[in-house]
Amino acid sequence: MLKKIAAIAAGVAVVATMNSQAVAKTLINGIDANFPPFAYVDKSGKPSGFDVDAVDWIAKKMGFEVTHQPVAWEGIIPNLVAKKIDFICSGMTITAERAKIVNFTTPYWEHRNQFVAKKDSSITEQKILTGGITLGVQQGTSELKWLQKTMKEKGWNFKFRMYDSAPMAVEDVLNGRIEAAAMNDAPAKDAVEKKPVKIVAAFGDVDAYGCATRKADTDLKKKLDDGYIALRKDPYWKELLNKYEP
Amino acid sequence: MLESFEAIVDALPYLLGGVPVTVAAVLGGMALGLIIGVPLAVAQVYGHPLLGRLAGVYVWYFRGTPILVLLFMFYFGLFPLMELNVNALTATAIVLGLASGAYQSQIFRGSILSLSGGQFRAASAVGMSDGQAIRNIILPQALRLSLPGWSNEFSILLKDSALAYVLGALDIMARTHFVASRTYEHLALYALAALLYFLLTWAGVRSLRALEQKVAIRGYGTT
Repeated sequence: MLKKIAAIAAGVAVVATMNSQAVAKTLINGIDANFPPFAYVDKSGKPSGFDVDAVDWIAKKMGFEVTHQPVAWEGIIPNLVAKKIDFICSGMTITAERAKIVNFTTPYWEHRNQFVAKKDSSITEQKILTGGITLGVQQGTSELKWLQKTMKEKGWNFKFRMYDSAPMAVEDVLNGRIEAAAMNDAPAKDAVEKKPVKIVAAFGDVDAYGCATRKADTDLKKKLDDGYIALRKDPYWKELLNKYEP
Repeated sequence: MLESFEAIVDALPYLLGGVPVTVAAVLGGMALGLIIGVPLAVAQVYGHPLLGRLAGVYVWYFRGTPILVLLFMFYFGLFPLMELNVNALTATAIVLGLASGAYQSQIFRGSILSLSGGQFRAASAVGMSDGQAIRNIILPQALRLSLPGWSNEFSILLKDSALAYVLGALDIMARTHFVASRTYEHLALYALAALLYFLLTWAGVRSLRALEQKVAIRGYGTT
């Protein structure tokens, strides 16, 4: 009796976990689950965002199927390299360090980084950088790397607290657990629109977003590059800009 | 208040989509644990001392390492090293199964030891080999006696399955986290997730209770 149950359970388990990897034609776009307005999972669980919609359009135009899969940001490049996803179009900043491991498409968006604090806070950029405060940053981001590097060079004084998304860092700013948070300007703008926070100052260099592909997938990179060129000429690009206001 | 309620209603279909994933991880883990646990228990009770010692090392290792550590170690370390490309859900089921096997073996070992030694001797007396005695006399009783402890292990494993989130499997926990981060409705949504886990635990334990009653032998031993 129990043996039968064990056999059935094992059978169910095998079948249930026989999850399909990228089935032939369908490519998987790895996205950050919470990076508005470029990529996020909306309240009913559907992947949405500027990059998600752009990729859907490009996929249709260039003739491939795509699904979007939220992946923890600090592990997204290892996931790409391990072929668990096929490319990353999710507000990913092009950096020299990342470009060693992956290929990037031509940049499609420029951005800067911002410090965000509570609306009624009197904190200044000076205080953030040298006042020994706690700064919230998303793990695995280029701005975190930049801050860590520049902090040593300039002798800044503050502590990091890691979060798995910029909006979560904003929440802790509102909860009073940290004094400020650092993020790209797009989620900063999104946070300012939705919550009582303000942008204190910009920091860092002007960076750009690009889509990441594995080094070997040169034809996928070309498809994405061509797709973006076509998208920019199409009125849909304006529609996306209006819809998401990144 | 209203936004919380709306958030729950909007997110519910998406969260329910995580139930099959959670169930798959748990069933896979329990099944693998059963397949590992029974031989380990038999080895520890009836096996050659060296075999029993080896089984003991396995149990000691998997009971002594946090499941979270095991998950990262296997998914990001061991499997890529072995060039084994499993997805997050399968990896979770495997690791849960390996760990649960250690715990389940001790449940079975306890039940086997609770049987009177006279049964094994009587089996030998009528000419059964050790293997036949274990398979036909000892295990059926021991497994039956293990059911309460096994159902306990099931409810523990169901909660541990939430760790699938850290590997990126889209189970109940992962989905709740995504939507909660997005909508800022943490309390409402995690309460909903807790309710889903509770219902799953309740359903599983009830089924195992029914199974217990089905295989119980009236008037013999503990009913």
